Amino acid sequence: MSSPELESLTWLAIHGRGVINTAHSSQIALTLSQAGVSAGREAFYYMRYDDSPERVQLPFIYYAVFGNPKIKMILPEEVEPIGNVFDTIAVLDSSLLVKSTSQRALLLDGAKKNASLVVNTSLKPEVILRLVKKYGCAHDWDGRIFTLRAKKYGKNIAYGMIGAIARAMEPLVTIEHVIDSLESTEDQREAIEAVKTAYDESESIKVSLKASDCEQYRKVAPPSKDANASGAKPVPWNRESYLKIKRAVADAPTYEQRMKTMPSWEQIAPALIEFGPKVGERNFGFKTSFARTFRPVIDEAKCINCKLCHIFCPDGAINFDPIKVDYDYCKGCGICANVCGSNAISMPHELAALEGLDEEEFLTIREALIEYAY
Amino acid sequence: MSKTSQVSVQKSVQKRRVWTGARAVAEAVKLADVDVIAAYPIRPYTGIMNSLATMIAGGDFYAEYLVCDSEHSQFEVVKHASAVGARTFVGSSGTGLIYGTEAVITTALGQLPVVGVVGCRSLDDPGNFGMEWNDAFLFRDVGWLMNWSKDPQEALEMTLVAYRIAEDERVLLPHFVALDGATITHVASPVIPPKKELVDRFLPPYKQPHPLDPSYDTVSKAMHIAPSLIGPEQRKSLDAAIKRAKNVVIPEAWKAWSDITGKDVDPYFESMKMEDADYALVSMGAYSRNVDYIVEKLRETGVKVGSLRLKYFRPFPTEELKNILKDVKGVGVIDFSFSLGSPGNGSVLSNEVKTALYDAENRPILMDFIFAGGREMTLTELENSTKQLIESVKNGRVDKPVRWVTVRGDDE
Repeated sequence: MSSPELESLTWLAIHGRGVINTAHSSQIALTLSQAGVSAGREAFYYMRYDDSPERVQLPFIYYAVFGNPKIKMILPEEVEPIGNVFDTIAVLDSSLLVKSTSQRALLLDGAKKNASLVVNTSLKPEVILRLVKKYGCAHDWDGRIFTLRAKKYGKNIAYGMIGAIARAMEPLVTIEHVIDSLESTEDQREAIEAVKTAYDESESIKVSLKASDCEQYRKVAPPSKDANASGAKPVPWNRESYLKIKRAVADAPTYEQRMKTMPSWEQIAPALIEFGPKVGERNFGFKTSFARTFRPVIDEAKCINCKLCHIFCPDGAINFDPIKVDYDYCKGCGICANVCGSNAISMPHELAALEGLDEEEFLTIREALIEYAY
Repeated sequence: MSKTSQVSVQKSVQKRRVWTGARAVAEAVKLADVDVIAAYPIRPYTGIMNSLATMIAGGDFYAEYLVCDSEHSQFEVVKHASAVGARTFVGSSGTGLIYGTEAVITTALGQLPVVGVVGCRSLDDPGNFGMEWNDAFLFRDVGWLMNWSKDPQEALEMTLVAYRIAEDERVLLPHFVALDGATITHVASPVIPPKKELVDRFLPPYKQPHPLDPSYDTVSKAMHIAPSLIGPEQRKSLDAAIKRAKNVVIPEAWKAWSDITGKDVDPYFESMKMEDADYALVSMGAYSRNVDYIVEKLRETGVKVGSLRLKYFRPFPTEELKNILKDVKGVGVIDFSFSLGSPGNGSVLSNEVKTALYDAENRPILMDFIFAGGREMTLTELENSTKQLIESVKNGRVDKPVRWVTVRGDDE
């Protein structure tokens, strides 16, 4: 949904993974919306996801939207906004810096030019900037990066994040408004203390990025001619034309570009039929790697080629011969590492595997399992 | 504990809570002091049952909370609970609701004032959980009352008023409160909850006049009675009940609600700038707020357009609608449903509006804007649709009365 009205509102996007982050994000969005209401704005929030976030480690985005004093009426709806709308982007799990949600392949896709980024991480803001430059941005960015280790401020990472986000969102909401909206929480005293400390302690740097400095910039094609808008009658579906469109949709780096590439009703494959994978191939229209926090790495020296990992992989993401992980489909569940008899598979954090970074702020699968007793 | 914050926030503002529609309805159920709740999960209505379970677990209020094995059992449970005199709450969405169909229909025939929520959801093409009205519309003919809320605040109020209407002895019909899935159920926006004392004054305890209880000498009708013996009479008594609801009970209930809250609300419509309107946009539910926005925007350019939101779909306020639209030249129906192969190949709501206007003295030009399929509406599309309506009225004819607005591709 694209309209000037949406851009005139103030948007907070909260990226996270899995059930525990969902609960945290809902608390963050609620507290900040309530603070916005206290500050005299209209406010609402909602969650978007492509697949069920109840499943362990799947990413989601919470949006909290604040009214503009000039536009009295805001439209409380669940929309995936198109255009440069986000003022603040909060990230609860830093593995999302490398690969964001399925809606937003780039973390800063849809961000305003002066957007603030708030990340729960043990890494320095400068390192976060390097990651954003490499993976998450494709437009000019003159904003700020805030980092904090949210776990430091209590078991519930929401409070630490609320403090840091409140700082990033000033002056729309002030820390006083935020504290006021925490009044009805159970562990009020602890919460207020955590929020205040995090507000004071989060680190921040100013950022100035040119689009052309970003590695992803090259992949974002200039807006292609919209076939549907040009007035030409779309070609009715056939296997080849459909596959071509499907490939373009799968490769679109931004949400806006993806929406422009989606097929019309004449071009779409009929009924419940879908084309794509040939026997032995995987469906390129349904890559699922965005769920991964930990990356299975096979040590070939130790591997005895027993094929157990191939057999047990629930997503069929490990090729049979030779044994090889297809990282476009691996969700990082770790079953392969568990069944491997020769300890040939290790599960480093995405940031460690890709960038050699030692991220300490993340939710392990074990933690998720314990808390939710799956 | 002492208050640590030094805040200059007005306390009156603070009273507005930011709640999702699901949470707001759960609060209404708590305020109504419901006895029996039957739950089975399906997005997007599930949030209501989640909130209720949390409240009950936390000791906020007590109700018999049953997690059933399917939607069919859900509706059976509340049907029977209501028959013996319990105030009940139930709900579902999309295909789940349809799985409960048999029990849903017999609840109406049993004249049992169950209140249910429909979190409107697209009928299932794979994984579609967008907003569409077809799931609720499937039950439009069987005797359930149905209203459509526009935001969490109204969802809360409509749920409370629904109990009063459904349980009125002149009505005794089940009542669906429709919440647009996602756009109301999952979007949190400011709500001012009514005070418990007010609700208690408004909503007397439910008294089933003929409870299915041996001490009242009641038994249920034998299932194998030849259908022709009571079939027509049973339906006719529902017909009489829903007419009484339409003409007497619903206006009464909303009048009582207005008296208590101090807000003067029309039971059947919310209209904006309709007094001198040449063009009317008729809608229901959450997106009527977008319609209001577009109406305000176009009014600034001098176009005499108005917005009319239907609050009740069953009973359908035919005479009232005819009256409001009597001087209007063009009507655009903003419809989130489809009715394939129906007269005009339009959608459900527009067909209803058309029927209502059939014997009007001045029949306006009617256009049907279909937003089916669960995709969200954009303001631009809505504005363009309105302009198409205005142009059609100016030309004095409609080239294409039914338009699929959000669809990609040629709208043939």
